[in-house]
Order: sequence, then structure tokens, then C-alpha cells
Amino acid sequence: MSGTTASGVATPPRPPSGTRPVVALVGPPNSGKTTLFNQLTGLRQKVANYPGVTVEKHVGGLATPAGDIEIVDLPGVNGFSTRTLDEKVTRDVLEGRIEGLRAPDALVLTVDCTRLEPQLMLVEPVLELGIPTLLVLTMADELTSRQGELDDARLAERLGVEVTRANARSGEGLDAVRTFLEHVAHRGPMPERPCPVISNVPQGMALPVVDAFAERRRIVREAGEHARYRRPQPDADTRRIDSVVLHRFWGPLVFLAVVILVFQAIFTWAVPFMDGVEAAIAVSGGWIASVLPDIWLRDLLVDGVWAGVGSVIVFLPQILILFLFIGILEDSGYMARAAVIADRSMYRVGLQGRAFLPLLSAYACAIPAILAARTVEDERDRMATIFVAPFMTCSARLPVYALLIAAFIPERPLLGPVLGTRAATLLGLYALGALAAVLTAFVLKRTLLRGKPSSFLMELPPYRLPTPKSLFLRLWDRTGVFLKRAGTIILGVTVVLWFLTQVPRGIDGGPPPLEQSALGQAGQVVEPVIAPLGYDWKIGVGLISSLAAREVIVGTLGTIYGVEDAGEDSPGLQERLRQDLDLGSAVGLLIFFVFALQCMSTVAVMRRETAGWKWPALQFGYMLGLAWLGAWAANALL
Amino acid sequence: MTDPATEAVPTRRAPRGGVHPQPSVERTDLRLTDISLDEVVELVRFEMPDDQIEPLLERGVLPGCRLCPVRRSPSGDPIVEVDGVMLALRRETAGCICVKRFAAAAD
Ligand SMILES: Nc1nc2c(ncn2[C@@H]2O[C@H](COP(=O)(O)OP(=O)(O)OP(=O)(O)O)[C@@H](O)[C@H]2O)c(=O)[nH]1
Ligand SMILES: [Mg+2]
Repeated sequence: MSGTTASGVATPPRPPSGTRPVVALVGPPNSGKTTLFNQLTGLRQKVANYPGVTVEKHVGGLATPAGDIEIVDLPGVNGFSTRTLDEKVTRDVLEGRIEGLRAPDALVLTVDCTRLEPQLMLVEPVLELGIPTLLVLTMADELTSRQGELDDARLAERLGVEVTRANARSGEGLDAVRTFLEHVAHRGPMPERPCPVISNVPQGMALPVVDAFAERRRIVREAGEHARYRRPQPDADTRRIDSVVLHRFWGPLVFLAVVILVFQAIFTWAVPFMDGVEAAIAVSGGWIASVLPDIWLRDLLVDGVWAGVGSVIVFLPQILILFLFIGILEDSGYMARAAVIADRSMYRVGLQGRAFLPLLSAYACAIPAILAARTVEDERDRMATIFVAPFMTCSARLPVYALLIAAFIPERPLLGPVLGTRAATLLGLYALGALAAVLTAFVLKRTLLRGKPSSFLMELPPYRLPTPKSLFLRLWDRTGVFLKRAGTIILGVTVVLWFLTQVPRGIDGGPPPLEQSALGQAGQVVEPVIAPLGYDWKIGVGLISSLAAREVIVGTLGTIYGVEDAGEDSPGLQERLRQDLDLGSAVGLLIFFVFALQCMSTVAVMRRETAGWKWPALQFGYMLGLAWLGAWAANALL
Repeated sequence: MTDPATEAVPTRRAPRGGVHPQPSVERTDLRLTDISLDEVVELVRFEMPDDQIEPLLERGVLPGCRLCPVRRSPSGDPIVEVDGVMLALRRETAGCICVKRFAAAAD
């Protein structure tokens, strides 16, 4: 969900700090902080069933009868050692070191009570901050259903902190949390107080460190005993599923089957929906053409906007199917297993299995992936991860791939009904991107980013059934993001390009022939660079405009061909592409999009996450070079 | 893929820092990698760099706690249950964790 993550990047403008009390949500990873945050604020930050989902602070408002407060969702931490960048965000917020955000006046500490003891390890350091705290026991439904027991009152008594149960997933038990927040609001912002400084566990020496933690663990043990904690039974379903998913032989096979299913679904399930969208666009375009008088506005709308934006919107169903699968995999808990399955290969590459999760999320969009790499401990590993993340096929490439594949690859069954040629080609493109990522990381880790192999530690959450509501909201938000892009970037580029096709006006005052328009002339300037790849100037214009966002090339070509065929019966985008490209250059174009970093937002985020232009510049140049070479080779060989 | 469950693992990746190179009196050569599935053992000590120990300590994985390898991943790395949590480790890490069997189970 790049949209939601992006909003964490550019925190929306807020009133100056200090006017409203701030409550921060702290807790170990995957303990349910964001679920609670979303329930309280009505926002929709990303929730998924694996540790390390939230990597940036998110601020939301809550109106209580006693006044407004601000709630801050934080990345999960197991302690305050800040080995990773996301842990540092949490620490900075707690210490009040974020500009424009006051140090929290109160804390809500979430603790997954199905794994009470390890999670309580965080209680002592959090209480030491000296900030009023409410301890919220999450996943109590799972504790009960797996025959675990806990006496909340006795736990509160022992720890000296208010304790309540809440299930933010179903919305039960939130009243106590709201009451606590109301008390905080009632008290108002605390007067200036010294920053709570997080006491560090002594570094370096082995024994004192162990002792400090041993003491902490002793306290936790005693608290658990005092509260008559009975650990829940291991989840039987999780055991059963894991015995297949993590099986030596079946595990990788399931992995492969899931991947094939996703790709086949993208091509087959989406077809009726795409036909529907396409028909709707054609009908509405025809209607506009018939009701508007024959003026330039009609041409702009029909040949420019409808042809351009419409040709991108057609791909919405395919993108939603991809996100439906990503949603199911993320919410169920499979992602954490995928990271375990991939860890050994990652180890050979020189990365840690942890880095696999950001790379997987790059299949949606590289930007949240680059942010998610904050959870990677070693700085060099993090660099290598974000350097290769844009090679993973993001959903913005999907319209480009789908269009070219549909135009150039005839559909034939390959593995019986299971896998067709088109889905297989798509699979191949995804694999090519992943291969480029892996090889690049391999080389980087042995040259620029040399370092010792880091360790890997992954908590495997129990499987949870994705709720229809959360899946629906994911698709809904994704539709919003997609349509917003179509309505802003793609629409903007389309309109500008259309105007460029209309000037300079001829002697008769009408539009010039396409080749002599401003766009045509500009396109011919770049033609020498792309001629070896087998492209004419139209594709060249598409490549340049797709720097704004990859799928823009589809809109651009839609507009260019739309203008060229203005008034005539358009043979359709696919047919026009077949006239301008042969198989070699079409495959070359696909390969170009596999490799090239055609996305300025990614470059901007890279600059921020690496604090400089060096890495983004290197990345852009490298990927472009690879793209050109790949496209050239395909054109020359095929 | 060679089988990891040999004592060669810890020596191949020589631990740095926080190590006891000379065999001490309480030295056990039993590593987490030597333990068969579903057997419960007690953690004795870590023989790995501090920065790799800390994430374990934070999760309450400390000398004295009970570990139980419940599964191996397709590549043969252990998945261990500690205090009701399933932790996936690399065998290199598991090879640096010294454990002992409980007296009753050792017989
Ligand atoms: N059964 C149950 N599941 C819950 C509850 N609260 C949250 N979950 C699920 O737990 C998983 C993790 O929730 P998140 O809110 O993403 O956890 P988080 O603490 O924000 O995690 P990080 O951002 O990784 O630190 C999701 O799959 C939620 O649907 C609960 O009370 N009961
Ligand atoms: Mg979260």
C-alpha cells in the first residue's frame, strides 16, 4: 500500500507541537499496534501478519470528550538498542527528538499475550521512561481459544501498571483504552519536562549484558507466575500448515505453485473485468464525441485523455488481482515463512533473510520497499537491498508488460491448462528482474558494500485468516492510489503531450502532421539514441514520459496513436504497436522496462534514505545502462 | 547441501568476542544443531559475537531457558520454540549456541 506508506514519508502539515497531548503506541513487532492505531484514529495504515510492517511514525488525531489528542503509531521494537533505522525512529519519538512532535505524554504498550514472557521483556525498559503507561493485552482471543490463561488484575498489581485487554481486530474491549486516552486528554499536555533518556544496556562486555537481561527476564518470569499465566497450546493449524509449507520438498513446491497461480490469475481472471472496463471507456468516449461540438476540446478529451488515461485504467483489474494475492499472503503469515525459505539463498548472495521481506514488498511498489529495508540490521546490507529493490517488478510495470505481451505473445497452453504462454512470459519477466536483483546484490556485497555476513532471526507468527474487510480495504485503497495516479500524473502528461501534438499550427490553422508537431520534432531528437533498439520516435517519447511513472508510456502511446488516428476507426493500441514494433524490439522494450529505473519518485526516496545523490545516481545510471544493453541485445538477436 | 549437524560448524566460523577459546571446566560440546527435533534442552551459553547475541537476549533467549527445535526449514536451518515463540535461526547461529540435555532426558 504505497499510498499509506507515502503519507508516513511526508507527514501532513500539523499545528505546531505542544498544543495537544501526544500518546505513543509502543510494543514488540507484530503485537497489534497499528491495528489499534487504525481503530482509534480511523486511519488505514498498513497492517500485516509479520514482524516489521511499520517502519515510520504515523500521527493521527482522536477526539475525546475531554479534548483532542494525537496518537503516534511506531515501528515495533524488542528493546531500545536501536540496531536498525526503524528502531531508531521509535527511540527518537519516545525521547522527543522529532521536530514538530512533542515527547509523548502517555504511552500505550501493546503486548501479545499468547507470547507473554518474551513480550514482557519490553515492559521494564518502557516503564523506566517514567511516562504514564497503559498496558494493552492483544490477541487475547487467541489466548483463550488455545486454552491459555492470564489474570490481568494480578499482572497489573505485580507490574504496577494499568492493564487491559483489547481486540482491535474485532473492536472489542477498546473502551478501557478510550477511557485512558480521555484521562490523558483531560490532563492536557504535560508541562515541559526533561527528555526521558533511554538507559542503554551496557555495550561491549558479554557478561554484564547477559546479566542485565537475565535480571529483566527474572522479573518477567515472576510477573507471569504471579499472574497465573498459563501459556497457550501451540496453534494446531499453524503446525499443520507449516509441516507442508516448510517441508523440505513440498515447501518450495508450494512456493512455486503460489507464484504460478498468481500469474495465471492475472491473465485469466482479469479478462472479463478488463473487457468491461474497456467497453465502458469506449462507450463513454463515443458518447462524449457525439455530444460535444467539433472543437479542440473534443479532440483533447477523445483523442488525448480518453485514449491516453483510458488505456491505462484498463489494467486496474489485473493490478487488483495482484494485490489481492499480496494481501492474502501478507495477512495470513506466509510472508515470514517465505523469508525463511529464501534465507539460505539470500545468505549465498550475501544478504540476510530479513532483506527478503522488503524485496517481496517491492512487487507492489519499490518505494515502501525501500522504506521497509530500514528493518535490515547491517547498513551495508540495507544499502544493497534498496539498491536492488527497483529491479523487483512493481505493479506500475504490469500495464506495460500486459499490453506488450497481449500484443506480441499468442496465447497457447504450455503446462496444460495450468500455465499459458502469456502467464509464462510474465513469469519470465518477473524472474529476470529478480535475477538482476540477486546478481547485482551479489556483486555489490563483494565490491562496494563488502562486509561480513550478518545473522538472521525471524519470529514466525501463527497463521491468521485474512479478514474479508481487511482484504477489501486493501483493494479499495489500491484502487484509490491507482485512480489518483491516473487522474494526476498520467492525465497531466497526456494533456501536455496532446498539446505538443497540436503545435505549431499549420497555415490553415489546423494541427500539423504528427511528425512535424513539437512532439514529433522532440521525439526525433532522441531517435538516434534508441534507433539501435529498433524503436521509432513515438516509443522514444513514451520512454521519456515514462520517467514520471512507468505506466505513463501506455497512456502516452494511447494519446499519440489516438491523435494519429483521429477521426478514423482506430485499430486499437495493440494493433498499432504491432505495426511499429517487430518481435525483437517488442521483447527488447519489455526487457528495457524490466531493468530501467523509470520512476522519479523512487529516485527521490533513494536520495532521502541514503542522504545524498551518490547512490540514486549510480543506481539510475546502472539500471539504464543495463536496460539499453538488454533491449539492444534482444533487438539484435531476435 | 551438506548436513549442518556436525561439530565442524562452529569451528569453521570462528566466533569473535565473548569467546572462551580454551576449553573450560563446564565446557559442553553439545550445540543446538546437534539436537534432534522435539527434544527440549537448556541453553548454556553463546559463543558468537555480542552484536549477534543481543537480538536473542532481547527476546528472552538467555542461558537457562528451554529450547526445543520443532522443525527444519527446507534448507535445513532450525526453527526453535522458546517460551511459546517460534524463532527461525540460521544453522551457523544455532551452531554457536551451547546447550545441555536435562538430567532425566540424558539417561
Ligand atoms: N487474533 C487477533 N489478531 C490481531 C489482534 N490485533 C492484531 N491482530 C493481527 O495481528 C497482526 C499484526 O498486527 P499489526 O497491527 O500489524 O502489528 P504491529 O504491532 O503494528 O506490527 P509492526 O508494525 O510490525 O510492529 C495482524 O495480522 C493483525 O490482524 C487481536 O487482538 N487478535
Ligand atoms: Mg505496525
